[in-house]
Amino acid sequence: MPNNPSMAAAIVGAAESNKIGYIEEGTTATKLHLEAIINVCKQTGIHPSEIEGVFSTGFSPQIAEHLGIHPKYMDTTAVGGCSFIMHVHHALAAINAGIIDIAVVSHGEAGYSARKNKGNGTNRGLGEDRWSVGNQFEVPYGIAGAPSNYAHAMTRHMHQYGTTKEDFAQIAVVTRDWATLNPRAVMHSKDTHPAGGPMTVQDVLNSRLIAWPLNLLDICLVTDHGGAVIVASAEKARSLRTRPVWIAGAGENTSHSSMLEMGDFTATSAAASANSAYKMAGMGPGEMELAMIYDSFTITAAITAEMLGLAPRGQGHTLWADGKAGPGGSGIPINTNGGGLSFSHSGMYGMMLLVEAYRQLSGTAEDGVNGIAGKQTSAKTAIVNGTGGSLSNTGTLVLVADD
Amino acid sequence: MAYNKPIPDPEQYINKPFWDGCKEGKLMLPRCLTCNRVHFFPRVICPHCQSDALEWVEASGEGYIHTFAVQHRAFGGWAEETPFVTAFIDLKEGDRMLTVLRGVDPLKPESIKIGAKVKIEFEAASDDVSIPFWRVVE
Repeated sequence: MPNNPSMAAAIVGAAESNKIGYIEEGTTATKLHLEAIINVCKQTGIHPSEIEGVFSTGFSPQIAEHLGIHPKYMDTTAVGGCSFIMHVHHALAAINAGIIDIAVVSHGEAGYSARKNKGNGTNRGLGEDRWSVGNQFEVPYGIAGAPSNYAHAMTRHMHQYGTTKEDFAQIAVVTRDWATLNPRAVMHSKDTHPAGGPMTVQDVLNSRLIAWPLNLLDICLVTDHGGAVIVASAEKARSLRTRPVWIAGAGENTSHSSMLEMGDFTATSAAASANSAYKMAGMGPGEMELAMIYDSFTITAAITAEMLGLAPRGQGHTLWADGKAGPGGSGIPINTNGGGLSFSHSGMYGMMLLVEAYRQLSGTAEDGVNGIAGKQTSAKTAIVNGTGGSLSNTGTLVLVADD
Repeated sequence: MAYNKPIPDPEQYINKPFWDGCKEGKLMLPRCLTCNRVHFFPRVICPHCQSDALEWVEASGEGYIHTFAVQHRAFGGWAEETPFVTAFIDLKEGDRMLTVLRGVDPLKPESIKIGAKVKIEFEAASDDVSIPFWRVVE
């Protein structure tokens, strides 16, 4: 077996949290995780800042945030008691692949205390846990949902780079142009939605304010959607009748979980995740012929384009100026399905980026159902970037068409 | 009128000294004994150097606007207050807090200046909990 992972990694230390069992004074899942991680770090002499991968059930970003680190590999596989054994397996594979050198597999669960705490401290999400960072320090200030958070990044971008609401509105306008070539897009035409079809910058500015500086048309749709792709080995991929689209590079990263920890409101971890993906692919942004960028908001698309190296800092929006990123435009085509802004956005939009990137690079973007004349580009390479959380987490792929 | 917006639970083990301080009208921040830097939100270990030797110090209650947004849509008790301004505050001592900004006009976002000086104030939301808010002072 080529590239056998056997012996590629070892377990180099093991520790528990300070107290275990019935902790009468109470504790939280987070505290248990952190104590155990610090203890194994002390045991092995590995400083927490050296940890490159966090493997845990469910809330790896929060653990990374508590550690003050930005891991480039996360795994939240949560399939019951055997999960942690699987995490070790995954870590071995990641290490063998050369992506990371040091991974922590961590567990913390306040089963006893949580009963006493009425379910708090379990770190299971905002609604259920009154002790989460969000419910302690964000929700009391009326923060509710992504627009209320992301608006702060747009304000800061405008302050730092002199960008305007018009600059961002243009992104929505050009993205809408792509939607007019996609019959399945919610905003394809007046037939599909009363507000569908081509629009202007003024239309965006005239739409309802949601969280200044974000207007309604700066914000993605909320729809129902499903999607799937199949990833296969090279050998298998060559044996199928469909055209393969090669994963030339891949990367992932996180900069924070709570927006309280977003150091630079005009930057995301897409810079890091894209760097990893470019490096793996041996390619750079200049070689990308298509970009599929998660456009939860116009500001998300602009910042991400900058992070992917497609434009200088503060200049992301210029990719869309004069329709350059649009159908028949003179620049790199971006979000050729109409994006989360005008095509479809179910909540976790990333899958739709993959589906469209596959169609474009396999030459099937103009089948009459998912695209009409003008939608298929000549791109042979694509950069695909998804953003999650509050501009928190990113995953990037460099995809290449088959020869 | 009774406070009708979300009230944080002050009994959280890591954050309790913060909420105790708020009740006394003091901004308490965690500071690392190893690297001497403060951080917010409170942690088990320092996010800057990963030391677990932490102490609580009383902060100045002064800071500056890092960025802001005007919320025109909100839920629960906050829905009755729209539009209102949320802001991330750069603390004088370092790191950041989120707040609903006071002393500004939500209908004139252009008049709100990033970098403007703000001071903390506390609102008693219940007998047990006072919530910190920041007000523009220049």
